[in-house]
Amino acid sequence: MKKQSSFHMVKREGVKWQQIAMSYLIAIVVAIALGGVLLSVQNVNPFDYYKDMFSLGVVGNKFAYKQVEAFIKLFTPLLLTSVALSLAFKMRFWNIGGEGQFIIGALGAGSVAYLLGETMPTAVVLLLMALVGAVLGGLYGAVVAILKVKHGTNETLLTLMMNYLALYLLKFFGETSGDWNFFLAKDSNRPLFATFPDNAKMITLPTPFGSFSLNLSLVIVVLLCVGVWWYLKYTKQGYEISVVGDSPNSAKYAGMKVSKIVIRTIFLSAALIGLAGAFYASSAGTLSTSMTNDVGWTGIIVAWLAKLNTIGIIVTSLLITVLQHGCSVASSSYATVDANFADLLQGMILFSVLTADFFTRFKLVRNSKQEVAK
Amino acid sequence: MTNYAIEMRGITKTFGSVVANKDVNLNVKEGEILALLGENGSGKTTLMNMLSGIYQPDCGEILMGGKPVSIHSPEDSKKLGVGMVHQHFKLVDVFTAADNIWLGKEDGGQLLQKNRFAEIGEMCQKFGFDIDPTKKVHNMAVSEKQTLEIIKVLYYGAKIIILDEPTAVLTVQETKKLFDVLRQMKADGHAVIIITHKLNEVLEISDRVAILRKGEYITTVETAETSEQELTELMVGRKIDLNIDRPEVEKSLPLLEIRNLQIQNDEGAIAIDKVNFYIRGGEILGVAGIAGCGQKELCEAIAGLRPIIDGQMIHKGDNIVGLTPKEIIAKGISMSFIPEDRLGMGLAPSLSITDNMILKNYGDTKGILVDRKIGRRDAVEVIENLNVITPSSETPVRRLSGGNVQKILLGREIKAAPNVLVTAYPVRGLDINSSYAIYDIINKQKQAGVGVLFVGEDLDVMMALCDKIMVLCHGELMGIVHAHKVTKEQLGLMMTGALNLTNRYEDKPAGIAKDTLFAQHIEDDGKVIK
Repeated sequence: MKKQSSFHMVKREGVKWQQIAMSYLIAIVVAIALGGVLLSVQNVNPFDYYKDMFSLGVVGNKFAYKQVEAFIKLFTPLLLTSVALSLAFKMRFWNIGGEGQFIIGALGAGSVAYLLGETMPTAVVLLLMALVGAVLGGLYGAVVAILKVKHGTNETLLTLMMNYLALYLLKFFGETSGDWNFFLAKDSNRPLFATFPDNAKMITLPTPFGSFSLNLSLVIVVLLCVGVWWYLKYTKQGYEISVVGDSPNSAKYAGMKVSKIVIRTIFLSAALIGLAGAFYASSAGTLSTSMTNDVGWTGIIVAWLAKLNTIGIIVTSLLITVLQHGCSVASSSYATVDANFADLLQGMILFSVLTADFFTRFKLVRNSKQEVAK
Repeated sequence: MTNYAIEMRGITKTFGSVVANKDVNLNVKEGEILALLGENGSGKTTLMNMLSGIYQPDCGEILMGGKPVSIHSPEDSKKLGVGMVHQHFKLVDVFTAADNIWLGKEDGGQLLQKNRFAEIGEMCQKFGFDIDPTKKVHNMAVSEKQTLEIIKVLYYGAKIIILDEPTAVLTVQETKKLFDVLRQMKADGHAVIIITHKLNEVLEISDRVAILRKGEYITTVETAETSEQELTELMVGRKIDLNIDRPEVEKSLPLLEIRNLQIQNDEGAIAIDKVNFYIRGGEILGVAGIAGCGQKELCEAIAGLRPIIDGQMIHKGDNIVGLTPKEIIAKGISMSFIPEDRLGMGLAPSLSITDNMILKNYGDTKGILVDRKIGRRDAVEVIENLNVITPSSETPVRRLSGGNVQKILLGREIKAAPNVLVTAYPVRGLDINSSYAIYDIINKQKQAGVGVLFVGEDLDVMMALCDKIMVLCHGELMGIVHAHKVTKEQLGLMMTGALNLTNRYEDKPAGIAKDTLFAQHIEDDGKVIK
């Protein structure tokens, strides 16, 4: 006889949202406490470390605004990518090619910046960069959608593989010296991505808070999020997406052109991710092989944690960015703590939140002796 | 005192503000078949789900063999010897029959033993089941899948077997077979609970009948001492007329004419072979045939969802071959098909009733925005007119019970004011009250001059409701007969291909109207359209 386990899972019913929020909070606290134990082992005062982390390096810093600007640079691409991914996921199209679409968008924007940046006014260059980035990113995604609807290929595999295509294309441009390669800095002996001309750098808006200036891309991205929310909820195309996602057969039955809807939506999703790449490149003022900061992956987690709800995505991506940025700030002031601790802590928090999510839907029940005996 | 195999006392279960079961008492003896009867949404499935551990009762107790037990999960119920065969099969499609059974075996270990096929094959023989243990589930017919589900619960050692609407998807012959199996289980001392809407089946198979109405327990009666009429009254709570009307309506010219139609199925085999028929306005044409003899392909072809190989489809003299589904909807041809899982085609289950109402006409309004006001108004109207039970018009369709889902689908189709209504299995799995409501709706459409193609299962119903019945056998037309002149035996012979009436009259081949608009069309064009 097989050994009986003493617990089993039972589905939970009627959980209120307050309870869900509470369980997430507890999960975060538990993960942080665990992290605190690890810090203590390394002879670091966990309270000081966490203070640094959650203040995001803003408190007691002469250059606090720099931290806020850095925060925005992390936050903006993640938010836009997550929202864009949710468009595809709503339609049950597993776009895990966010990384690749982001890179292609950035490459497109970069090409515009290097080739035209010096000859045209800022507004035109930036607009062109955004447009080229979005269109290239969109096409990069649409190719997969076309293959899927025409030949029934698996989008998960294709988008995954195309991530590596994009990454190595970027590496190729970044590491191959040659007169033709306009991506590289002219004054460097070893291959290095050149800095964008000033005309191709993202406009920052002056604010009343001293030297702090607001990155225009954040404003645009927040507006885009509201736009996507509205698009999904109120437009005919948004309605089509939810029908196709829910029941492709019913969509066909109702006379919808399912292939067209899939291709259009994936183009839109990938275009927004390409746009995120373009914005990131113009904010950073250069290209780099690590510029995606894994948004294509993190975005998937954000979209699902938020259950594809646009407002939820804004909140979730904000929290994840606090985690990422806070960890990097804190690790920079504690030389003894390895930088990888930040990643470890992020992982622990995500893991415990996902565990909490599981427990909001299921509960464990102890098997009573009497029933087991039966 | 009688010792019951299972006894439920004072069971109450609420979901939010909805009371699904209120103070229900139920008991089954060993070696007995109990039928659980009730309308759609009367809480039968909820009650049974408490026995199988999917839900827990809010109050009340469950006793087995006289001892109280608590069932917290499907695992618990399996250990207690309760086996449930769900309405929607819980099988892994790409696995073989034997592997599906092995999967849930308690002491099966981590490996698929080589002898599993032999072992399960042996056990099938013991119970008298005819099933190949090495066959993959996705190659199985519905009835085979169901048999497999039953073998599964028996193999796990179930003493109490619950079947949730097992006959809803079976043909008459398959149902007979199932009942033989049930009788054998009864002889072996199993307690069987069967949920069904079909009163004749209740009378045929059960020993006692327990009746639920709107979540409340009404009574339990001995089958031998009751009648169809009494059961209906107990179930519905009032007297109900069990006759189906067939109003006489003046027929108009043929609305839809089908000639020489040939269609392939998904596997590329011929599903419909050179079929001719026509539908007039004010007429219900029934389509009878054994499950899977081309009904689905025919419906899909008319709706423009499936390309045809050869033949013509003429609607009011206009060719509709090659038109898109949208263009066919615009012509006033409505198709509603209730598949075996009920939700597969025609509805988006996660969306609200309102959103499902606008599925076909959301594009008619100007601008880029969806106008949900129209949808909401339609939804409220359908809910009121057809007595749909739902918390609100914004409730997702999949939360509704089967009958209400079908009312929403048919309600939407009728709202669109079609002139040809193709409806397949509209009462599949529905209780008697809802079924009669649906027949009523269809009759009203007929009276309004709509041509109705009614693909059905129950021959008695078709003979009472339809004006004419066309019979298909393996995709071939076996003849079109007047419903009031034909006998059930004749239809049965035609369905199995033993009787072919297509060439009964040499001057009048079956399925071609005398006053056809088809010829006129060809003459007008001067050539035969492809």
